[in-house]
Amino acid sequence: MASEKPEARETERVQRATAEAGNSKVTRRTFLKVSAGAAGALALSGVPRIAFAQRRKSVRIIAFAQGFAWPELFGSKGTEKTDALRGLEKEVGADIAIEWGDESAVRQKVLADLISRTGRYDVILLGSDGAVQTYGFGGLLEPLDRWMTRSPSPYVSLKDVYPKYLDANRIEGVLYGLPYYSFGPGVMYRRDIFRKYGLTPPRTTDQFESILKTLKENFKKEKIDMFPVTMRGAPGEEPSLDLLGFVYAYAGYAAWFEGGPTTAEAIRRKKAKPIFTGDFRKGFTAFVETLKNYGSPAASTHTWVDMLTLWEQGKAAVMIPSAINAYPARLGSKIEAVRKESRLASSPVGPSGKRIQSFWTFSLGLNRFSKKKEEAWHVLAYLTGKKAMEEFSSRTKFPWVTMKSVLYTKPLIDTWGREELAVWEDAIVQSDPYYFPYFPELNEFMDKIGTAASRAIAGAKVADVLNDLQTWGYERMYRGGYYR
Amino acid sequence: MPGAPSRRRWALALVYGFLLTYLGFVLFPLVWLLLSSFKTRADALALPPQIIFIPTFEAYEKLFTAGILMPFGNSMFVAFTNIATALVLGVPAAYALARMQGGAKQHLSFWVLSTRMAPAFGVIVPIYALMRTLGLLDTRFSVTLAHLSFNLPFAIWLLMRYFEDLPVELEEAALVDGASRWGALRHAVLPVSAPMLVAVAILVFVASWNEFILAFILTSAEARTVPVLVASLAGTMAFDWPLMSAVSAGAMVPALLLVFVVQRHITRGLTLGAIQ
Amino acid sequence: MAVGVRQRWERATMLAPGLLALAGVTLFPGIYLLYMSVMGWTAFSPVVRFAGVDNFRTLLRSASFWEAAGTTLLFVTLSTGLSLLLGLALALALNEDLRGRGAMRTLLTLPLIVPPVVAGFGWKFLLSSDVGVIGAFLLPLAGIRVAPMGDPQLAMASVVLADIWSKTSFMFLITLAGLQAIPPFLYEAARIDGAGFWAQLRLITLPLLKGVLIIAVILRVLDAINTFDVIFVMTQGGPGTATATFSILGWKIGFTYFDLGQAAALAVLMMVGAVFATNVLIRRTRLAG
Repeated sequence: MASEKPEARETERVQRATAEAGNSKVTRRTFLKVSAGAAGALALSGVPRIAFAQRRKSVRIIAFAQGFAWPELFGSKGTEKTDALRGLEKEVGADIAIEWGDESAVRQKVLADLISRTGRYDVILLGSDGAVQTYGFGGLLEPLDRWMTRSPSPYVSLKDVYPKYLDANRIEGVLYGLPYYSFGPGVMYRRDIFRKYGLTPPRTTDQFESILKTLKENFKKEKIDMFPVTMRGAPGEEPSLDLLGFVYAYAGYAAWFEGGPTTAEAIRRKKAKPIFTGDFRKGFTAFVETLKNYGSPAASTHTWVDMLTLWEQGKAAVMIPSAINAYPARLGSKIEAVRKESRLASSPVGPSGKRIQSFWTFSLGLNRFSKKKEEAWHVLAYLTGKKAMEEFSSRTKFPWVTMKSVLYTKPLIDTWGREELAVWEDAIVQSDPYYFPYFPELNEFMDKIGTAASRAIAGAKVADVLNDLQTWGYERMYRGGYYR
Repeated sequence: MPGAPSRRRWALALVYGFLLTYLGFVLFPLVWLLLSSFKTRADALALPPQIIFIPTFEAYEKLFTAGILMPFGNSMFVAFTNIATALVLGVPAAYALARMQGGAKQHLSFWVLSTRMAPAFGVIVPIYALMRTLGLLDTRFSVTLAHLSFNLPFAIWLLMRYFEDLPVELEEAALVDGASRWGALRHAVLPVSAPMLVAVAILVFVASWNEFILAFILTSAEARTVPVLVASLAGTMAFDWPLMSAVSAGAMVPALLLVFVVQRHITRGLTLGAIQ
Repeated sequence: MAVGVRQRWERATMLAPGLLALAGVTLFPGIYLLYMSVMGWTAFSPVVRFAGVDNFRTLLRSASFWEAAGTTLLFVTLSTGLSLLLGLALALALNEDLRGRGAMRTLLTLPLIVPPVVAGFGWKFLLSSDVGVIGAFLLPLAGIRVAPMGDPQLAMASVVLADIWSKTSFMFLITLAGLQAIPPFLYEAARIDGAGFWAQLRLITLPLLKGVLIIAVILRVLDAINTFDVIFVMTQGGPGTATATFSILGWKIGFTYFDLGQAAALAVLMMVGAVFATNVLIRRTRLAG
């Protein structure tokens, strides 16, 4: 039959090949040799690196915003070795190496290093919305006050920096980080659009609401492809900085726990239970409703990048309260109106009389397990010091500086005008960095709160979402040992 | 041939229709990616999408001046070492397992598979700690080993099942003639398995090439791979889509070449090994 | 076949290098992971203490764990099922002698080369109802006004779409290789005996392909359970927790809540679940022998 032939032919072929091949021992021995060789080659490829262990002391920094942060040292690519960098290395007496990544990846690397207590990175990127608190409480950061006094740096003086920015990096009085670029709250609005409809920047949240209403009606009538407001509602920690600012403005205090304690010690002392279904609710609801009614339908997954993109495309008329996100668009947008007509106004005041907050510092801290703390301290001091701030402001033109003496300098005045700088400064000075409590479990709470907001924006009932949050919050604090 | 000619033509049309639709689905994002890599950031986000635009090489400039050679070399080293190791060590192991019977086989093969079940977030800290202890941080070696931890079990397991399905007659012919298992493997089994071996090679290469988080955690400036470079270039200030497209497009080139070269091998292997 | 001493030795030398290498790279992380799962270890507490089953208890009691379980199940089922069907259909189609077959096969392997992160970003952009070519331009043109990323169900669909785009090529490649191992003379014989396309599929192709298919499915399922990049980049697990699978939850617990012990415990639970699931799949399909 036809089917047998191909099989038989195949068998013959194999037999022939086997006969031709010869000794099987060769094959097995060859295999073992090859594997051993491969293993050896692999090992050798790793050896040279291990052998060249660091002879000269090297201070390692890890951060994000490559090319944007400290371009005077690391170049616009973030990988250059500039003269300025060499100069600093000489001053400090050690090599300086920096590693970059995106925010979430860097955070993992930082965690892996800190938690293994290996001291691989000396100077570490932190944010004042969780990292400072977490690592500070965990005893993984070096307190900086004593370095200030013991080894004062020509670059940084605590008197220069805006006190509120420093406060944001203090845990129960101890300073754990120094700020690089930072921001306070504000409202960014399109002056041309406001003028068109006879609007002025809102002073209160009520005014804010009516402005949005007017905008919405008019956009609809004239079929303008714009959203009245852009805010961020992505799940996780993303919206929390802004959302909590609303909570603060509506309640008048950091309405997380009974009595509004803002330190771990105070929470424990008062055995303060969460009040997510209490005073917290008003600001939360306001935030959610604003986004649902006046923002993009996709806002429940919007991050600060989306806020920026919308503004850049000229698709939003108001940005609040993290107005900082509009600045890159103001310099780089293709749309003239965005560049010329974006204006900064103070954050509106809520029913309690307090302003809507939004506060954050890009901070650098010192690894407690660093093996070259002295040198690392000096590097850190430079990186957050006046010179670095001056370079930042003159190169980027962004007013996100931490020192008054740098805020009112020519590059910034020329770009934004004194008036706006005054508004910016006022926001910092009037801020309350403790508009959320500083306690070890902060990150988890930020994440859960932000996710709750995202859920509500996407359609869930605020009451349900807050109930869940309340139940969870109580259980979490109990597990953390606060109520025993 | 069964079925009237018109039915066959109709079926053929259906098949082509399905294939072309799916190909469209596959290619649309890729073409868009490629086009975007030649746009400025504003153009890339413009709607209606600009199909005709003034191309710019901004993004590619940024890419090449960012020093792409070293990460490229690292990625290549890691990926090819993984292929070599996964095949050299994996094929015999897979074959031996395939021809085993009974309890030991079940347990061993299950253990092999289970090594692939660990989620990424769980192993980041342990692997970091391990490499740190061995002093292997920021070496190609550490990334290679880390990748092997999922490529090796993958190769073994896939090939094992594949070998199981191969008709035993092929090897029996060789064994009867006095060849050892090794000989049988080399002369009877391997030639026929060429397509699967190539498939495994491609998949191992790609898995290693694309792996990000372990490569990121374990490397600094010396040993970083292409995905790590891509991530760092993407930056945090304003998401630069043209840049990311350019980097992705550029990063895809070697993998593309590999697949292209290898594809021809598959077809060649098929015609040579044809049983007819 | 009787297993003589010589054959045993041969088998050992074949197995040893591979298995030893595997043990070498996986044993330590595995043990360390187990260790971490029973420790109360967080980044915000200077004290690391033994916690026994506390981490596991907290997890099994938390609503987010069970939510993630459902979400993971949904995602894995959709992604695996669809990519299996598509991959099989593609492999079957491209196994035939069609014009342009080689070119089509090559093109189909392209998504493999694209890192999941890029695929995720790409689809997020494309589907975005604010700036996306599909979401903000093509769909509205067709009269559909939706926000794929803002709606829980659509977000899941979007994430599954991106994942399928990325992973179907995997199924396709493996299935095709498996198909090519089926000797053509079997089909010839069947055709001569009068069997049509569907009969051939049922009686020859699928049975012979079964082994490869099951393996591909198992690998795909394991991979889908661990899918992180695509989901994280597209929706961060949102809106709310609509696309928060175990891998997203685990990452959150470890790197956002800084609770390493609990994250390790979740990893252990996931592995137990994966072991159980694959065991069932293997037994059910009689692959054990």
